[in-house]
Amino acid sequence: MKQYNKQIGFSLFILAIVLFPLLANSKWLAVGSTFLIFSVVGLSEDIILGKGGMFNMGHALFFGMGAYTAAVFNNTFGLPILYSIPFAILLPALFGILLAGPIIHLRGDYLLVSTIGLNIVFIQMLENNLFGVTGGPNGIFGLDVPSLFGFELSSATAIYYMGVAVLLLTFYIMANLDRSKPGRALQYLRLDDLAAQSIGINTRGYKIFAFALGAGIAGLAGVLFAVQYSAVSPEAFNFMQSVLFFSIVLVGGSSIPGILMGTFVMFVLPEIFRDFATWRYFIFGFAMILAMVLRPEGIFPAKFGKIPNWILKKE
Amino acid sequence: MAILELHNMTKRFGGLTAVDGLNLSVERGQIYGIIGPNGAGKTTAFNCITGIHPPEEGEVIWQGAGDANPRKITGLPPYKVASLGIVRTFQTIRLFSEMSVAENVMSGRHFRGKQRWWHGISHTPFSRKDEAANWEKVQETLDFFNILELSKEPVGSLAYGFQRKVEMARALVSEPELLILDEPAAGLNDSETLELVETIYSIRKKGVTILLIEHNMDLVMTLTDYITVINFGKQISEGLPDRIQSDPMVIEAYLGSEDDNDE
Repeated sequence: MKQYNKQIGFSLFILAIVLFPLLANSKWLAVGSTFLIFSVVGLSEDIILGKGGMFNMGHALFFGMGAYTAAVFNNTFGLPILYSIPFAILLPALFGILLAGPIIHLRGDYLLVSTIGLNIVFIQMLENNLFGVTGGPNGIFGLDVPSLFGFELSSATAIYYMGVAVLLLTFYIMANLDRSKPGRALQYLRLDDLAAQSIGINTRGYKIFAFALGAGIAGLAGVLFAVQYSAVSPEAFNFMQSVLFFSIVLVGGSSIPGILMGTFVMFVLPEIFRDFATWRYFIFGFAMILAMVLRPEGIFPAKFGKIPNWILKKE
Repeated sequence: MAILELHNMTKRFGGLTAVDGLNLSVERGQIYGIIGPNGAGKTTAFNCITGIHPPEEGEVIWQGAGDANPRKITGLPPYKVASLGIVRTFQTIRLFSEMSVAENVMSGRHFRGKQRWWHGISHTPFSRKDEAANWEKVQETLDFFNILELSKEPVGSLAYGFQRKVEMARALVSEPELLILDEPAAGLNDSETLELVETIYSIRKKGVTILLIEHNMDLVMTLTDYITVINFGKQISEGLPDRIQSDPMVIEAYLGSEDDNDE
C-alpha cells in the first residue's frame, strides 16, 4: 500500500513538472528551471551529506566547476555547450577525488571547515581570473545557445525541459544507489564507520566515491545553470550557496521527496513571497529553525527497509 | 595446520602494555577461547588481529583455505582483514541501528558481492544477478538464526538477544573462515545462552573456525576445545578446558578472585 502511494506521488510529481510550462509565464518558468537545477544539486549533495554523512559545506564549488567548465570551453575554445557536458561532469568528479582525498578522514566539523576553505579558494581563483580564462569577478557572459541536431534550444521552455531530463536522470541514479552495494556501503559507513570497516567495507574508498559522484552530478547541473543565464559569475557559487545546498538536505531530509521539498522551501518559497520584500527572509529563517526543531531528521527523513519482498517468504 | 597464529604480539597504549608478547595458535575447525579477568587485554588482542589497533611488535600469521603458505597480516586495515574471511562481532553490539534487520545482515555480503562502484550509478544484468544472489544468502542466514520474520524491523527496536543474533548473522553471512566473537553471551538470559551454544556448534559444523572471548565460565568450559588464559596482557596458561579449570595459576588469577571481581 505504502509502495503504491509512493508511486502515485512520484507519477503526479512527474506529471506536474512536465505540464508546468503550459501554465507558467516566463518569470515562473525561470523559477521552475531554477528549482529543477537546484533540486539536482540538492540530490547530489544528499549523496555526500545525507547518505555518506560527510559534512560537505563546499558543494557550490563542484556546481560552479561544472558551470565554468562549460563556459570556458565554449568561450575560449568555441566548443558547443552541449559537447562540453562530459568535461563538465568528469572534471568536477576528478576534483572531487583529488580534493576529498586528503581531507576525507576528517570528522564532522573538521571536514566542514576544510570544505568551506576549498570553496573560498575556488572563488578566489575565479575572481583573480585564473589562467586568464575565467573572466575575473564579472565572470563570463554571452555564451552560445545550445543546439541539438541543428535545432537551437534557446527558449526558456527548452531549457526547462533539459532540467526535467537531468532531474529524471538523477532520480534514476538515486534509486539505483539505494539498491546497490555502493549505495548501501555509504549508509553503513555513515551509521557506524568502525562496524562498516570490520565487515569488509573500504570506507575511505566509498567516501571518495560519494564525493566524485556528487561532484559529477553537481557539475552536470552547473552546465544547465550556465545555459539558463548564458553566463557564469563567481558569486553564484560562493560559500552562501554551499550553505543553502547543505540546508536543503538538512531541512528536507535525506530522501528524494525531502530534497525536492527542501529545494522548494529554500528557493521557490522566497520567490512566491517576493512581494513581502525583505520580510521573506525573516520568515524563511524562522521556518528553517522551526523545521529543524520539529523534525531534526528533516521533513522527509531517509527511510530504511529497502529489501526485496520475496526474501520474507521461506521456500 | 594453524589457521591463525600470533607471534609475540604486543600492543601498547602510551605507558600501558595492554597485550604483552602474546603467542597463540588456532587450528582450523577449533572453537578457541580466550579468557581472563576484566582489563586483561582480551578485546585489545582482538582489535590487534582485526586491524583496528595494529600491534607495535610481533606478527599475526594467517593461512586461509586458499593460501598455499601462511602469510603475515599484521597491521592490515580492518576492511582487508575482514575480506580475508576474518570477521568479528563486538562486545558492545555495533549494528546499523536505524536500518532493518535484513539490511544489516546484507552488509555482511559486502566484500563477497561482485558489484563495482559503477553499479551504484546503473545496474547491469550482471549486477542485478549479484544483488539477488546476495539477498538470497541473507535470506538463508536469517532463516538459520530463526529471525526471518523480523527482516523488515528496524534493528534498534529489537530486544537485546535478537540484536546479538543479528550481529552474528551479519558476520556469518559473509562466509567467514574465522569468526571472532567478543563476549557473545554477554547480556543473554539462560535460555538464550543455551540457544547460543547450539548456534555456535552448528556454525562450526559449517566449517567455520571460532575464536571467542567469554566471561561466562560454564559456557567457555563446555563450548571450547582449547583455551588461552591471559592476565595483564600476558598469557598465563593454555590448554584443554579440563586442565585450565585445575590450573592453580588460573584459579589464582581468575577463578579464585571472584570476590574481587564483584562489580
